[in-house]
Amino acid sequence: MAEGLEVRELDSDGSSEELVLTPAQLLRSLEQAWLNEKFAPELLESKSEIVECVMEQLDHMESNLKRAKHGDLKVSIHRMEIERIRYVLSSYLRCRLVKIEKFFPHILEKEKSRAEGEPSILSPEEFAFAKEYMANTETYLKNVALKHMPPNLQKVDLLRLVPKPNLDSFVFLRVQERQENILVEPETDEQREYVIDLEEGSQHLIRYKTIAPLVASGAVQLI
Amino acid sequence: MFGERAAELVRGLHRAADGHLPAFNEDGIRQVLEEMKALYEQNQADVNEAKSGRSDLIRAIKFCHCSLLRNRRCVVAYLYDRLLRIRALRWEYGSVLPNDLRFHMSSEETEWFNQYKKSLATYMRSLGGEEGLDLTQDMKPPKSLYIEVRCLKDHGEFEIDDGTTILLKKNSQHFLPRWKCEQLIRQGVLEHVLS
Amino acid sequence: MDPAEAEFLAEKELVTVIPNFSLDRIYLIGGDLGPFNPGLPVEVPLWLAVNLKQRQKCRLIPPEWMDAEKLEEIRDQERKEDTFTPMPSPYYMELTKLLLNYASDSIPKADEIRTLVKDTWDTRIAKLRLSADSFVRQQEAHAKLDNLTLMEINTTGTFLTQALDHMYKLRTNLQPAESAQSQDF
Repeated sequence: MAEGLEVRELDSDGSSEELVLTPAQLLRSLEQAWLNEKFAPELLESKSEIVECVMEQLDHMESNLKRAKHGDLKVSIHRMEIERIRYVLSSYLRCRLVKIEKFFPHILEKEKSRAEGEPSILSPEEFAFAKEYMANTETYLKNVALKHMPPNLQKVDLLRLVPKPNLDSFVFLRVQERQENILVEPETDEQREYVIDLEEGSQHLIRYKTIAPLVASGAVQLI
Repeated sequence: MFGERAAELVRGLHRAADGHLPAFNEDGIRQVLEEMKALYEQNQADVNEAKSGRSDLIRAIKFCHCSLLRNRRCVVAYLYDRLLRIRALRWEYGSVLPNDLRFHMSSEETEWFNQYKKSLATYMRSLGGEEGLDLTQDMKPPKSLYIEVRCLKDHGEFEIDDGTTILLKKNSQHFLPRWKCEQLIRQGVLEHVLS
Repeated sequence: MDPAEAEFLAEKELVTVIPNFSLDRIYLIGGDLGPFNPGLPVEVPLWLAVNLKQRQKCRLIPPEWMDAEKLEEIRDQERKEDTFTPMPSPYYMELTKLLLNYASDSIPKADEIRTLVKDTWDTRIAKLRLSADSFVRQQEAHAKLDNLTLMEINTTGTFLTQALDHMYKLRTNLQPAESAQSQDF
């Protein structure tokens, strides 16, 4: 069961390398992605490779269990573990879906302007869902109200209609890798900006915007 | 007063408790659309006069346009907020809604809802293996695997995890693995006894 | 994050149980467990410990810190200092609750422990409220929160971050209105 799993990850400099994760490490990555997604105000980059690998593990385990004999204590322990993993997986994907539905025009706009080679924030399945959601909502608004309005008012920009994620919101985080010289912007005109160092293991309350790149790179974990 | 009806649409929805879906205000929407039509026609006439020299009308024209924009904003806000409430119903009740809620939806809303259900189902089927992953399940962290259940009707013999069989007889109580009884709870055979 | 989710994460913590059954090593996706032999202590995650206990398949050994004398020291220290003192476990609250609920028979002085942990928690939450208050008042942009646990952060945190978001909205809205002409009428 403990054979390595290959997950391709992109480095901060954009080059990709093969990472081999053990199933236990894979679960940890899923949990980190889950917590980050839960606390970040915006939709984070899709971790669809981790999701796929975890699903494979679950399917594999399920089919093993089908062959196992009934009444085995072992089987029930495996079942409990499967339930726990499936919960994290579902909660993670659900959390993303909620954000996609909440911010769809902005997410699709970002996807449109994404540079070649830059990783997508949506999995292909999420992208398909977001497009359908947008089309469905546009059609609805048009049929019920907009097409009955004066000719110069029949077009609305969903980007202006649907609120944007608030990147200025505050988040709690724990530092995984030491960071130096993080610039903290002042809150009021009387204050001055200053820099802080983030020591490994320390915890902070700060604006999401300030540390968003560190969430993406895995240097900090939202809590 | 211009815009009063449109604002009332939004206020009416705002008064309804979070997550509650009041009946679709078809009449309200129609009235706002009529007001917009009248305003627009009036404004068109003013625009034509302004073009032929009545520059004193420009302020009135601008005001009228603002009223139109505001009316549109209220109508769209009303419709969009209702969609968000309808969306939440899918997660709360599953794909078949109770009758009283369905009567509160317009036919176009029902159409939007059906399309939403379809997109969601396609998305969930695309996850993982053959059966996909039903994200409307596992909504809460799994708790103690064994739960106390009461039988609501005679169901007969039932094999549990450790190989033993038990008899599910009406009104009998059992301590069973949760994942074994979830489906029977949904079918109304068992009821979870909360301690 | 709701408390049930913090509890879910706490259930991953390892605790020692003494099983009354035998079972070979078991290869879970998250790592190996066992082997289990009657009377021999073995480490398992709390979710499994609680389940085995429910089915009367084991006895639970409370973590070393779950001891009235040690917790009294921790409580006194917490009351004495202005800052947050380090806790014996990042999930001390959830572990206490779960273990006392399911295994109070194997924890000596269970009631006393419940009170001590509750007192420590109350002291810490009071400190957290105070520092949140000064954070808002001083309009700080950053705060260091070492030694706070996930459950503590999530008890006060959501309220605090929402309050900060609101204040930010109010402050940034203090800009001249965009379309003054429609206000003239």
